Amino acid sequence: MMRLRDSEAMNIIEAKDVSVTFDSYGDIIKAVDHIDFVLPKGQTIGIVGESGSGKSTFARVLSGLQIPTSGSVTFMGSPIQSGKNTYQGALRKEVQMVFQDPYGSLNPRMRIVKAVAEAIRQHQGLDKKTSTKVALDLLESMGISNLDAQKFPSKLSGGQRQRASVARALSAQPSVLIADEPTSAIDQSAQAQLLGLFNDLIKKGLSIVLVSHDLGVIRYLSDYVYVMKDGIFVEHGKSEEIFNNPKQDYTKKLISSIPGHVIK
Amino acid sequence: MRIAKFKEWLSLPGGFGIFSGILMLGIMIILGILIPNFGKYKSDAFVGDPFRPPSFQHPFGLDQLGRDVMTRTFSSVGIDLGVAFLGVSIPLIIGTIIGILLGLAKNKYVLSLVGSIIDGINAFPLLIIAVAMLTFLGSGLKSVIIILAITNWARYARISRTRAVVVSKQNYIEAARTLGFSKRRIVLKHIAPNVSSETVAYALSDFILVIVVVSGLSFLGLAAKPPMAEWGSMIADGRAYLAQSWWLVIFPGLALCWSAVSLSFIVEGISRRDRGM
Amino acid sequence: MAANNLLEIRNLKIDVRVTRTKRLSIVDSATLIVEPGQIIGLIGESGSGKTMLCRSLVGTLGRRGAYIASGELVFDGIDLVAAKQSTWSEIRGKRIGYVPQSALAGPNPVMTIGAQLAEAIEQDENFPKVDVEKRAIELLNIVQIRRPETVLKQYQHELSGGMKQRVMIACAIAQQPQLIVADEPTTGLDVTVQAEIMDLLKQIRNDFNTSIILVSHDLPLINEICDDIVVMHAGTTVEKIPSKSIKSSKHPYTIALYNSRIDLVEPKGELKTINGQPPSVGSWPEGCRFSERCDFVTDLCRVKQDLPLISIGNNHQSSCLRYDEIAR
Repeated sequence: MMRLRDSEAMNIIEAKDVSVTFDSYGDIIKAVDHIDFVLPKGQTIGIVGESGSGKSTFARVLSGLQIPTSGSVTFMGSPIQSGKNTYQGALRKEVQMVFQDPYGSLNPRMRIVKAVAEAIRQHQGLDKKTSTKVALDLLESMGISNLDAQKFPSKLSGGQRQRASVARALSAQPSVLIADEPTSAIDQSAQAQLLGLFNDLIKKGLSIVLVSHDLGVIRYLSDYVYVMKDGIFVEHGKSEEIFNNPKQDYTKKLISSIPGHVIK
Repeated sequence: MRIAKFKEWLSLPGGFGIFSGILMLGIMIILGILIPNFGKYKSDAFVGDPFRPPSFQHPFGLDQLGRDVMTRTFSSVGIDLGVAFLGVSIPLIIGTIIGILLGLAKNKYVLSLVGSIIDGINAFPLLIIAVAMLTFLGSGLKSVIIILAITNWARYARISRTRAVVVSKQNYIEAARTLGFSKRRIVLKHIAPNVSSETVAYALSDFILVIVVVSGLSFLGLAAKPPMAEWGSMIADGRAYLAQSWWLVIFPGLALCWSAVSLSFIVEGISRRDRGM
Repeated sequence: MAANNLLEIRNLKIDVRVTRTKRLSIVDSATLIVEPGQIIGLIGESGSGKTMLCRSLVGTLGRRGAYIASGELVFDGIDLVAAKQSTWSEIRGKRIGYVPQSALAGPNPVMTIGAQLAEAIEQDENFPKVDVEKRAIELLNIVQIRRPETVLKQYQHELSGGMKQRVMIACAIAQQPQLIVADEPTTGLDVTVQAEIMDLLKQIRNDFNTSIILVSHDLPLINEICDDIVVMHAGTTVEKIPSKSIKSSKHPYTIALYNSRIDLVEPKGELKTINGQPPSVGSWPEGCRFSERCDFVTDLCRVKQDLPLISIGNNHQSSCLRYDEIAR
């Protein structure tokens, strides 16, 4: 078991000894295998891993969508799980998620502005008219014009859909955003726009867990990085350390696979 | 301005098909309202000599009892389309709801029990079940509607269940959960609309099938019975006279085809439009 | 045609039949020269025409209603512009191999891997049937698949993404082609797998002197693997430059692509993006098509229609009017 980092910063999320085991037609699959994790307030933590590493499953545990087979997750010290449910009551708004697939992340039969307004009404308690206005403003601040906001998801580009998903997540005014491969399914320029958006959110104090197999994106945004393989963290450390001075063999292999990257 | 918008709608894939289909169906429905109610003759009145060929007075001729074939043909519109509408909309609603509930259910026993019922019903072609059950319930249009309601729902339930399972796994449903939306809200506002779009699409093509089934059953003498004017029974009655007095069979037959074809255009147009998107 | 060039594409124009009367230009003027044993990188954003260019090299344009409107396409002395199906069946899969994008295609789901390889091997009608399995195992070994005998019996869904791509490469090299066209072969694959596939391609080039055209949107990847880089924008090849000289690019688009690399930016630093979107097919602007997004644009750029590739020496060509004013 890896030693947890010493830190004076308050940890907004802590995961202790979390495991997730699936039973698939008799085969026992350990997607997540007894791992510990912390998200200090105001920081961006990257979880990097290749396909099959378990990082998406772990991201879902953190956001409450997946109940771990064992172990616990706490938010500001209190456990997120109560009985068979997670993030009950006022806790729910605090941790929101953005998914990889821009095409499945939005209800295809709902106009973008309505989807965001729905979230706003739920969390900010405003009436229909006001929440629509707030939704339009929020979407505009993410580069989606009022005209585009009235459209259905199928009429927008992948990048726009991702930004709309972020807007919807932010409607809850969360303190934590968990992003599972947010840039993997969109093209280069949309990627840069989305990353710029995350940058702004970070400056405003949002704590982010960024899960990705794209090392460039992880390196760009993260303060601290966890490297995941086969359900465990093989290494973790400050971003510069991981990218320039990887210690474990797997991490070294990963870093050296980046085209053009030179380990200093 | 509106004409321009319409032209644009028309030029999209499937636009022409949907438009022609609606036009054709509209003509049938309008004639079905006008002719029986405002026409010169009643559908069961004896107005002349039997087997009078089509003429200016009687464009579709007279049948074996001297009744006006045109009036009878268009009287059938209300019956066939009406019965088909009921025979589709009731199963649509029941089947969609049951399918969604089943798709979201977690209880193993419920799943296998209801699932088996659905699969069992779906194993049989609609016409066979209908004929079999009519022998129990007694024939007649009312029985047909009842039978359709209690069996056809299974076809919708199968579609709706599969779709509900797929939809419930989508990211936007998970997002709704992390956003703290109530289960009720998620099912009604997010799952149901995305499921019903598929079942409604199926309903349109089912409509065609049901019209043909109802006519077929009437042809067999199990649904509409004489003296009711209905395409299937008219064709059955007129069969024997086909060689000499073709108009007894051809006109109801054409009306049936016209209706089925117009609906096919609409269904095909919609599926082209979805694919084009 | 220069004696030692394997492939010569000059000013190729590819159009598509939209309706009976309407034509759309997908590739306006593409120029690409490949020598034996070279790895050429073809880079561009969506809408640049790079995929259509690849299709012209395997003769599958017709399937999408596309056709070569003008220009030259000569492969090993054979003119492919108006090539008939009989010519293509001698070339496609035998002398020009194709590796598709990993996420899209892949081995046929209903055939075993062995059957697929056999199909590729039996493209040569004279190949002795008894040796097919041996050759299949040989090919799997070349692409570094462990336990090839087991893999022969497996189906596509039992393999990982990386293995599937290796199988596709094995099929592509079965007839020892002179040229391999690889269209985004590693997009969507894990980075370690990507590195392995790239090493594999390099090795194939080294061992068999096969030329490779590698299409990608990933500039760092192309930079590391390829000898020369050809840059496409809005249907035109705008620059050809040796990989090692990428920093002395003389075209604003290439420079913008290079500067927008995320791996060169400081963490959380300012990301340079290319302004606007690439112009979509059918709405190409007048003059230089990059003019609306270019930092060096002048009025002449917006107007001048003909922008040929100018030789700047040392295997470097650019189509920018102001190439000589670009300093690095």
